[in-house]
Amino acid sequence: MPSETPLPREAFLSLAAAAGLDVKSPHIEELYPFVQTTLASLHPLMDIDVAGAEPDMAFIPLGAITVPKS
Amino acid sequence: MEALELCYMSAGGLSRLVQSREVSPVEIVDALLARIEATEPVLNSFITLLPEEARAAARRAEGEIQGGNYRGPLHGIPVGLKDLFNTAGVRTTSGSRIFDTFVPKEDCTVAARLHRAGAILLGKLNMHPFAYGPTGENQDYGHMHNPWDPELITGGSSGGSASAAAAGQCTITTGSDTGGSVRIPAALCGVVGLKPTYGLVSRHGLAPLSWSLDHPGPIVRTVEDAALTMNAIAGHDPMDVASARVDVPDYTTALTGDVRGLRIGLPKEYLEAPLNPQVSRAVRDAVALLETMGAVVTEVSFPMFNQSQAISSTILMAEAAACYRDLLARDGGSLYPPVRLRFEAGLFVSAADYLRAQQARSLFDRQFRELLEQVDLLAGPTEPVTAPKLLATKVQAGEQTVGTVAALTQYTRPYNITGSPAIALPCGFSDAGLPISLQLAGRSFDELTVLRAAHAYEQATDWHARRPPI
Repeated sequence: MPSETPLPREAFLSLAAAAGLDVKSPHIEELYPFVQTTLASLHPLMDIDVAGAEPDMAFIPLGAITVPKS
Repeated sequence: MEALELCYMSAGGLSRLVQSREVSPVEIVDALLARIEATEPVLNSFITLLPEEARAAARRAEGEIQGGNYRGPLHGIPVGLKDLFNTAGVRTTSGSRIFDTFVPKEDCTVAARLHRAGAILLGKLNMHPFAYGPTGENQDYGHMHNPWDPELITGGSSGGSASAAAAGQCTITTGSDTGGSVRIPAALCGVVGLKPTYGLVSRHGLAPLSWSLDHPGPIVRTVEDAALTMNAIAGHDPMDVASARVDVPDYTTALTGDVRGLRIGLPKEYLEAPLNPQVSRAVRDAVALLETMGAVVTEVSFPMFNQSQAISSTILMAEAAACYRDLLARDGGSLYPPVRLRFEAGLFVSAADYLRAQQARSLFDRQFRELLEQVDLLAGPTEPVTAPKLLATKVQAGEQTVGTVAALTQYTRPYNITGSPAIALPCGFSDAGLPISLQLAGRSFDELTVLRAAHAYEQATDWHARRPPI
């Protein structure tokens, strides 16, 4: 979940490795602050009360009738 | 007719001359190719130009029309496609050298429908790599430049489409809009950009960025041309899993000029956001003009507007990272660095975050639809600023300094979240001579109302007739 606490470096490296990124590459040093800034920008999501709301589904089964939203 | 007049004539105007055989498609293509030769060193709108193919297609169209086989308003009209629209036998790069030699075997559905309508493919248009940026930068094929001031951005990601339309290089162009990528460049280049309802125009054969946010749409110089293009490209496509099964009207029936009784809402949150005062004034004047024409304008409230960036960014980043995960692993080092960072950052968005954003999306959509029960359209600025300088990372929007990406997508992302139709059209110029744009958004599948209001405003003003100094 996007937390107010900046992503610790160890956690970032662990997630990066799990995502298949080369954590030994110099590029990682550029990516880390970018990821921190980006995740911070998503914090407002946590202020939205989503209780009871179902996610909008991206997948529509083939053959389904799509009714214009009223 | 003078060549430059042909270059700046709308598709609607050209079609009437083509049908009556006063002008040949060959003349139109020749005029545009000459215009491209003269302006392309500055603008860099095209990645692939097809002069011989276009001339041959124009001769074929001329023969068909002279033989009495007129297909309709787009017959013999040149079109340029953003370079993520697959075109059979013509390379389609997504704006990246990684796909420099990718040649699709089949047309995307949009290209096929335009071809069937008799349109002539002039070339493939420059874009922000993988459509993942709102500025129109391109390290591999060269940055795009705004025809109103080449030191400024076109906007993106469909930057080449907008600059080609604005500079009279191409009559009709297409773009794709995931967070604003049709409307942003249309606004900054002073032309019309329509993001149709999600699912109305097929995504089949387009390189995706974010499956649930991608919307193909036209970038053109007049609202009539947007309607004509929609007549050709809209409609169900079984090849697109999200394609809507809806009846498609004749969009030109919207072009009545009548807005009497139309209810337009101006969300107060739009005017409270970071906003250049000249833009604010021009948009208020535009809405006031619609009111004098008979529209009923009220201030409304759209509180979740202030959360649209977080909702949209979470969805977009997660979907884009998932979409290009293999490419990142294989060719990440070849990506334009800002685009690479955005793709990689998406890998850190968790499934729980993504689903929370989709929950928020459904709440956002519900609030929007409730608003659209009170009014028929929402109005506001397309952009809070005029075109920034190339590679500027921050802009001044009123009294606030804002990141360029956040500023450019501020007013456009909400309608990607809802999937509802939204059009950008010129509504004035800044003191520095740069375009200002009005955005009108409506209910899903109610493009007729959006086009009607946009056309009425356009015809009551002359912004659309102004030409950049290039």
